[in-house]
Amino acid sequence: MSEELRVSAIETRGKPGLKRYAMVVDVRRCIGCMACQVACKAEYDTPLGVNRTWVPYKVIGKYPTVRKAFLPRLCNHCDDAPCVRNCPVEATYKVEDGGFILQRYERCIGCRSCMAACPYNARFMLPSHRTYTPITNVVDKCTFCFHRVTQNLVPACVQTCIGRSRVFGDLNDPNSEVSYLVARNATQVLRPEEGTKPHVFYIGADRNATEFGRDAYRKPEVMEPERSAFKRHFNL
Amino acid sequence: MGDYTWFHDVSWHATYAVYFFVIGICAGLSFLSYGSWLAPALRPLREKAAYGSFALLALGGLLLIADLSQPLRFLNVVNPAYLNFTSPLAWGALNIVFFGIASVLYLLELKKGDEGRGKLLATVVALLALGLPVYTGYDLAVHQSRPVWNTPIMPVLFVALAVASGSAVGSLLAGANDAAQKLLREYMLWSVGAVGVILISILGTTNYGGSAQELTYIVMTTGTMGLIFVGIGIIAGTAAPVALLLAPMGRQQNGLMLSALLILVGSAALRYALLMAPQQLQTLY
Repeated sequence: MSEELRVSAIETRGKPGLKRYAMVVDVRRCIGCMACQVACKAEYDTPLGVNRTWVPYKVIGKYPTVRKAFLPRLCNHCDDAPCVRNCPVEATYKVEDGGFILQRYERCIGCRSCMAACPYNARFMLPSHRTYTPITNVVDKCTFCFHRVTQNLVPACVQTCIGRSRVFGDLNDPNSEVSYLVARNATQVLRPEEGTKPHVFYIGADRNATEFGRDAYRKPEVMEPERSAFKRHFNL
Repeated sequence: MGDYTWFHDVSWHATYAVYFFVIGICAGLSFLSYGSWLAPALRPLREKAAYGSFALLALGGLLLIADLSQPLRFLNVVNPAYLNFTSPLAWGALNIVFFGIASVLYLLELKKGDEGRGKLLATVVALLALGLPVYTGYDLAVHQSRPVWNTPIMPVLFVALAVASGSAVGSLLAGANDAAQKLLREYMLWSVGAVGVILISILGTTNYGGSAQELTYIVMTTGTMGLIFVGIGIIAGTAAPVALLLAPMGRQQNGLMLSALLILVGSAALRYALLMAPQQLQTLY
């Protein structure tokens, strides 16, 4: 990542002395096994219906020439995160050394302003009923496995990815694998036009999966039973 | 399709739209109470508007707190150790608190009957009341990823809606007072006209925008949302009252009352559609 792309003072990419963690997702290697999602659920006991990481897909092409385009998704740990700007009580904050965007659960008032600000749908409200933890009714999101990374481990989803589709590391370290991948491959980020400077980079992502399409508002009827179940679950 | 599906919920639900509606009328009534110190025709409305505004502030505050998923933590937004001044919500919370304090002082002064201090406090209350629709509009406008919301004209639209709905409630309160109704007719006509012009501008720029804007335009103008936004909000709640107010019937009490009711229904529908429609597309990304 070149230093020249840095725009605002809050950004930490290319800043000497600071780490800037990022994830590279090579979607050419993603087989849609959802193991990353399962590992994340196991790591955090994320409740039913909400996900810190998820793997949506689109069926692209016309029979018989069809394929599934997977696009693993998670919080982009933006360098200029709109959720941090929008939180009225600083419950969402950026860890300068590492660039993690984290959440203070005990401070969150549940105004959902951060959810509205996030262009990636990466944030969700924890339901009121949870079995093993008292953390309920506050906004939650991916933490880039802060607790693991600070112990020199990689995030749970990266650890478990069988195709090595997900790679994690310090982008400010020119010798890291993510720096190598970003430098040597054509990468793209989601919704770059929003100016959030996301730090999840995709290699080989299909624009059918990254852009809004007309099918975004044409909801397939086959999904309606599940949609209804989702709404019932969260009392919507 | 449908073997693995993920759903995302909208961030802000209809309670927030009701809050926008209530707080808009609250601000509009404060403007009227202040206006009564400048225009003698509005004098009969001074106390009614001030008390009505305060009651709606209490209702709006309760709605806002009830909408939080951690209602008891609402005090965090006025805790100086926590406040994040880059968030419009933080400014809004401070605005509401100061508006509430100023309103209480103003009501006490109205009871005492001190003209000088009453007018001064009415000015302070009106200025703080202006902050209510401005912050609610700004609260939406800062979300750069949301089509329709992310326009600098949004706070102006909310001010115009506040004047329109406040004047409409004022017209219902004024009853057979011809002098007040004459003035309120002007307020309603010009503010609803401004709302119409701003909506045309927003719709035009949205339709000419990128794919997200274009899809949001489709969401806003078709189906149930289209019925609410275009049918109730624009045609019944904006165009019809302007036409009615310009017609001879619009100068009579019945015509004014009907216009006021249409404006109230329309401004509620507009706030709902402006809040909910731009969130729909995002839930499917």
